[in-house]
Amino acid sequence: MFALKNISKSFGDLQVLKPTNVEFSVGKSTVLIGPSGCGKSTMLRVLVGLVQPDTGTVRFEGEAMTSQTLLAMRRRMGYVIQDGGLFPHLTAFENISLMAKHLGWDVPTRQSRVSELADLTRLPTAALKRYPAQMSGGQRQRVGIMRALMLDPPVLLFDEPMGALDPLVRFDLQEDLLKIIRTLNKTSIMVTHDMGEAGFFGDQVMMLAEGEIVQQGTLDELIHHPANEYVTRFINAQRIPHV
Amino acid sequence: MPSESLMCKRNTEMTQRTPLATPCILFLTTRWMSILLAVVGINVVAAGRGLSQSKSSSQPTLKIGSKAFTESVVLGELLSHLGRDAGARVDHLSELGGTQILWNALQSGEIDAYIDYTGTIQEEILADAARRGAHVETESEMREELAKRNILMSDRVGFNNTYALGMREDVANRLGIRRISDLKKHPELEYGLSDEFMERRDGWNQLASRYGIKTRRIRTMDHNLGYRGLVHDAIQVTDVYTTDAEIQFYKLRVLEDDLRFFPTYYAVLLMRADLQTRSPEVANALLKVQGLIDPVKMSGMTAMVRLEGKNETYVAGDFLNSQLLMQLELPSNTLGAEWRRVADRLVKTTLEHLFLVAVSLTLAILVAIPLGIISARNERVANVVLGVVSVIQTLPSMALLVFMIPLFGLGPVPAIAALFFYSLLPIVRNTYAGLRQIPLATRESAEVLGLESKSQLRLVELPLALPSILSGIKTAAVINVGTATIGALIGAGGYGAPILTGIRLSSIPLILQGAIPAAAMAVLAQWAFGRLEKKLVSPGLQPQS
Repeated sequence: MFALKNISKSFGDLQVLKPTNVEFSVGKSTVLIGPSGCGKSTMLRVLVGLVQPDTGTVRFEGEAMTSQTLLAMRRRMGYVIQDGGLFPHLTAFENISLMAKHLGWDVPTRQSRVSELADLTRLPTAALKRYPAQMSGGQRQRVGIMRALMLDPPVLLFDEPMGALDPLVRFDLQEDLLKIIRTLNKTSIMVTHDMGEAGFFGDQVMMLAEGEIVQQGTLDELIHHPANEYVTRFINAQRIPHV
Repeated sequence: MPSESLMCKRNTEMTQRTPLATPCILFLTTRWMSILLAVVGINVVAAGRGLSQSKSSSQPTLKIGSKAFTESVVLGELLSHLGRDAGARVDHLSELGGTQILWNALQSGEIDAYIDYTGTIQEEILADAARRGAHVETESEMREELAKRNILMSDRVGFNNTYALGMREDVANRLGIRRISDLKKHPELEYGLSDEFMERRDGWNQLASRYGIKTRRIRTMDHNLGYRGLVHDAIQVTDVYTTDAEIQFYKLRVLEDDLRFFPTYYAVLLMRADLQTRSPEVANALLKVQGLIDPVKMSGMTAMVRLEGKNETYVAGDFLNSQLLMQLELPSNTLGAEWRRVADRLVKTTLEHLFLVAVSLTLAILVAIPLGIISARNERVANVVLGVVSVIQTLPSMALLVFMIPLFGLGPVPAIAALFFYSLLPIVRNTYAGLRQIPLATRESAEVLGLESKSQLRLVELPLALPSILSGIKTAAVINVGTATIGALIGAGGYGAPILTGIRLSSIPLILQGAIPAAAMAVLAQWAFGRLEKKLVSPGLQPQS
């Protein structure tokens, strides 16, 4: 799905990503994890073209990402951020269908697609008419997910999507989200600093520190065969409940 | 032998100086700017004249000017009568804001003729020529110098209206003041002097230094308010014109100019030379003012306007009918006719005012919103754009108006240009701020959807900035309605016209005829934009009730 070759990025003197080669394969769920400032968010932002890497190339579905190809590529990615990133001047329905409308979908097609997604994300139909300020945090996040899914992109990118939710709401949404990713068979890449969330979503976990990938593998491998002391320390610091 | 290059130099100096003679704009006018303005101004005016000539009909047109005091307005009406009687279509741009405005307008062809005074011509209009060594002491020397500028100067109209200092007779008596020299002994006196008298080369500063009067107790005020100040003893000394009707009415003492400071101010007609070739019969008709009006007749006419409340058209026509045995139709002076005039004036000034505001505001919106958008996208551009429009906003409105005259002449166009510039800042700043306050996450959300940059702006950023943009437009509209009243100073009409006339005639009702509708229009604009905001702004952005 994504192939990054020799990608690096500095902000001023600070190198947030050291030269990195990495691939994200089709159908896999990958979780990027690590402390603040480790470069995980920057890597995700490189994937959607919000950050221009200093060196290296990004290939998406086999094609090089350039300013010419970026627009079409973004329409084949769903990107979800904390609190949904909704447009406050549009209703939930308008938020979800903005891009489809822009691309010329007719009204019935848009409506049936939105109600299909509302079923999938378990969003009450009544909420579709509301503006973001009138919705709960969980609803806003569901709408954000629906908006990302609207054009049925093959890949979903999440930047700490549950960060702003309380534990109960988060628990439900995590379940729903995993189900959606599995049912629709999407490739997904998620940034989080929550070990529990990483284990729950990730077929594969990629741990970063100081702009480098320290280890990648299943959560089990990270726990039982840590690449170095740092991995162990990070995992232990998370207080994963042992039952 | 004067070389050709020297002549050239003289000419450029002349064209440079004329547009910037008003001191208040000196500070912002650099040498190259004035050259640019002069060149552009000449071209615009020339182009405009070419247009008006190409569509000229058989009836000759005549444009008369007058200054913002009653004597000048009466004389302007008098010239208008004479021109109409000779078959011309006459436009009287009355109550223009000062010698420089009229002189520039006369030179550029915005007006064809007006009446000025020999002292003013010598001290103001030809001051530059005098400084370069030309002799302009006598009237024939002035006539010669003006002819070089294609302006004809007539013989005297017949009266000398010089500046003088006036005090209330009783106050002057009590203090024993008869001559200007006596003022030195009374540093406690409060002075109320007109703007023009303060600014003139033969005005206060030179007078004070000649007579050795040292005082800081000076307030500048409108000439007509000066009389009110005297009556209420808020001031004790003011500048007067010797033909002012108020001198007798308020029992004022004109102080003797014992050091012969003030030059003589014989009224003369200034007329463009091309009027004589274009329509000689109209030009000759205007020359009938030569020797027509002696001092008593002049102050008599002024008194009829100022003290009896007759309008200038009537007074001037009545005078011509009795002096030259003309048979002019005079406007009625009955109460009914007066009310009709009030109603007509309200309609006319409202339309004029709306026109000024609507056109300037529309243009400002069309320019300011794109400027705001560009600024929001580029911080370096923002610094320049916001800096420039802020500086424009700090210019005194009168200075900005005067600045527009060489470019656009007189009338609504320069007023619209000035109002346009004033309206830019609130709209540019609010567009910029409205776009800048959109959270980064929201902007990025629009970007990662795969929207083109243009569509991000149209579908997300502008709708989110709309409340801010609209409130900028609302501010601009309200400022605009208020500022448009000064357009009357350059003949643009609007609610400023009755205010100006009202100040000149000390007529509170006339002032209110301009001030009340102007206030009402501002309130209406505020309300209308409030409604528009409710309608246009997404409910998602409005405060939840």
